[in-house]
Amino acid sequence: MGLEGDCANGVKGNQTPRIGVFVCRCGGNISDVVDVDRVVEEASRLPGVVCAMAHTFCCSDPGQGAIEQKIRQQGLNRAIMAACSPSLHEMTFRRTVARAGLNPYLFEHCNIREQVSWVIKDQEQATQKASRLIRAAAARASHLRPLEKRRIPIHPSALVIGGGAAGLTAARDLAFRGIEVILIECTPFLGGRMASLHRIYPTGRRARDVIGPLIDEVVNHPKVTVYTNAQLESATGFIGNFLTTVRLMPRGVNSECKDPEAAIAACPEECLDQFNLGLSRRRAIYKPYDGCWPPIPAIDWRSCTRCGACYEAAGGKGIDLNEQPRLVEIRSGVVVLAVGLDTYPVRHGEYGYGVFPEVITLHQLNRLMDPTGPTHGEITVGGHSVRRIGFMHCVGSLQHKGIHKPMRDGKINEYCSRVCCTTTMHTAAELKERFPNLQIYDFHEDIRTYGRKHENYYDQVSEKGVAFIRFDPERPPRVDRDPLGEAPLLVRTFDRLTFGEELEVPLDMLVLATGLVARDMSKLVDLYHCSVGADRFLMEVHPKLRPVEMATSGVFLAGSVQGPMDTTEATAAAAAAAAKASALISSAHIELDPFVAYVNEDLCSDCRICLTVCPFSAITRNEEKRVARVNEALCMGCGTCVATCPSNAIQQAGFEDVQVKSELMALISRPAERLAAD
Amino acid sequence: MPEPATEKEPQLTKEQSEALGWEPRIVGFLCYWCSYTGADGAGTARMKYAPNVDIIKVMCSGRIDPELVLTAFARGADGVMVLGCHPGDCHYTNGNYKTMVRMPLLRRVLDELGIEPERFRHEWVSAAEGEKFSRLVTEMTEQVRALGPLDWPRLQRERGVGHGADLAAWGERP
Repeated sequence: MGLEGDCANGVKGNQTPRIGVFVCRCGGNISDVVDVDRVVEEASRLPGVVCAMAHTFCCSDPGQGAIEQKIRQQGLNRAIMAACSPSLHEMTFRRTVARAGLNPYLFEHCNIREQVSWVIKDQEQATQKASRLIRAAAARASHLRPLEKRRIPIHPSALVIGGGAAGLTAARDLAFRGIEVILIECTPFLGGRMASLHRIYPTGRRARDVIGPLIDEVVNHPKVTVYTNAQLESATGFIGNFLTTVRLMPRGVNSECKDPEAAIAACPEECLDQFNLGLSRRRAIYKPYDGCWPPIPAIDWRSCTRCGACYEAAGGKGIDLNEQPRLVEIRSGVVVLAVGLDTYPVRHGEYGYGVFPEVITLHQLNRLMDPTGPTHGEITVGGHSVRRIGFMHCVGSLQHKGIHKPMRDGKINEYCSRVCCTTTMHTAAELKERFPNLQIYDFHEDIRTYGRKHENYYDQVSEKGVAFIRFDPERPPRVDRDPLGEAPLLVRTFDRLTFGEELEVPLDMLVLATGLVARDMSKLVDLYHCSVGADRFLMEVHPKLRPVEMATSGVFLAGSVQGPMDTTEATAAAAAAAAKASALISSAHIELDPFVAYVNEDLCSDCRICLTVCPFSAITRNEEKRVARVNEALCMGCGTCVATCPSNAIQQAGFEDVQVKSELMALISRPAERLAAD
Repeated sequence: MPEPATEKEPQLTKEQSEALGWEPRIVGFLCYWCSYTGADGAGTARMKYAPNVDIIKVMCSGRIDPELVLTAFARGADGVMVLGCHPGDCHYTNGNYKTMVRMPLLRRVLDELGIEPERFRHEWVSAAEGEKFSRLVTEMTEQVRALGPLDWPRLQRERGVGHGADLAAWGERP
């Protein structure tokens, strides 16, 4: 820490100040309101100020060049930039002054755009305020001292949360770059939602043929550690050094189990199969599908009665019905969030869902169409084959105030879930191909096949004779039992395509294209300080400039945790997150501002109050000298200890009492010349 | 170490201030991560507010030593605002909680010293609350304007308020 004496580039910090003031016009953003010439003139008369000048765009190359030149020519040892907010260009100008041979922390940024010219209408008031702020900056600048940035090493590992398509993609990409990856998944099996899909657009390949090889790549990579059944417990730390504690819930079965099939067959307990979305039943000890990973079954503790039948059938080995959860601590340099999303929970009675067994969701239809699914690929309801099928769009998406009931948090889903239209068209196309005689009706308010080549599916099903019926959201379709008994269901609706004609459509099955909603991520949001959007999905820093980064440095977003996405988009986002994360890790160090606390040992009275207030436990006691000691690597530079010290023995570099107080004094003292003028 | 680059100035009397067209001078101590960013947000949204609050940036509201507030009042500020992150949002985990427990104590000290409670305000402003920031600034300015300039030592003397104001000088009969 170069707190005292010479700084690296030869400019002494405690020389008599030679301050340069640079005022930016910001192309009119500032100079339209603030009288910049007057501000420059007033600044040039301030104590310690050697020169003051204005430039139209200080941040431009010529602007920065002019500043650099001025610093060299005039032998300045302090620089003040009066321009936009420091959050925008403070770093830019610190680099500028560094290029001119000045320590970057002998620079003071003064905000006269966001906090002056953009918020004050009156020219006189704005000019006075700008001058006042520059005066304060000059007062503060006199007391600045050269500082050096701290370099903190980055732990070369990544924690990926979520074992679906996005999480697996991120884990694979990171591991292939040689980064240690820890992948945690809260369910007992990898693959996420994608493992239960049937065929996916735009290639029409079976979802499991896509996710299977991806899982293999990840789990067989030597750099990857996978924890299934893992729940987030707590997290501390920051960019470069996160420490996450995970609770591993008991699986009940381990790899020593030699005959898992016999164990499953022996289980007397049956429950609804969640993997098949309640369309079939399974045992309490189960595997969701053949070829799942891990290949060993798991026990569903909500259904298991701990009768021990599986234990005996497996030969008394590999099954532990009294397994206890255990905690694992994971250290990582970055965290990638890939927890995905949920489908909209259809309300009981919404389009007859839950009332008529013939009304199912699109995801359930996907399970029925799967040849390895509950009906081996046959489309049947209660054993009856289906001749007429209807699709209902936008169930839980594009909701309207006053028409749709809000969800539990009082919000309605006004957004488009994006994937359901194309999925519906893609599914209808496959149904028409497999069952040419099937009659398909498509009830929609709007159809958005927005993606590349997605419109082809719409064209295909139009050609194959799918009937499109467009309803009015204010008069949505009603679903009832067919009073004539011709079919199980009767949908009544007004068709806008035939100018409001009322239609009655008898159906054997109605499929609801449910929207996508954010998961309950309260724990995650809490642990990693995530920002959440109005639609409950996590929010990136900037949708175009930093699309996969969270405001918390070192935390990245992968896939549909950020909003509704199809697999193509989710894996693209995951790959972007992995690239961003690995770029950070490969830089090996991060640079932190040098605003750390330091102790004046002569003043310290060993009262130890600072030890108790430090949020990062960065202050310890030097037992030998009986004074407080700051661990610079842990100090985050909040300055809480400075405000607490009764002896003024602790100071924060860059925010020392003398700096803050001289700034304060310059702001509140009323200039003598104003008195004299009157 | 050079002396502060500010000149020492005479205190104005109330009459002088009014003759000069007195404007409240208020200092706002803002934490960088939430409140300062919130103030920037007000600027980006081009909200208009009173020009009287001058901002001093600190990294965390936990840095705000009550002594700074007292110094501000003693040396010419008519009002002081302390703005930090909402509880639970602190960039430094809990610096704002330290502020939260200090400020009520400071309030009592200010009260003892005879400074009207309306001259001091401690509020939470998040990085997204530009609108709240601009509202607070304008409210505070009007509040302080209504009270007039603060001339602390004179105030104690004239109004007979503040710590010890009810006590007679030693040797004097009550």
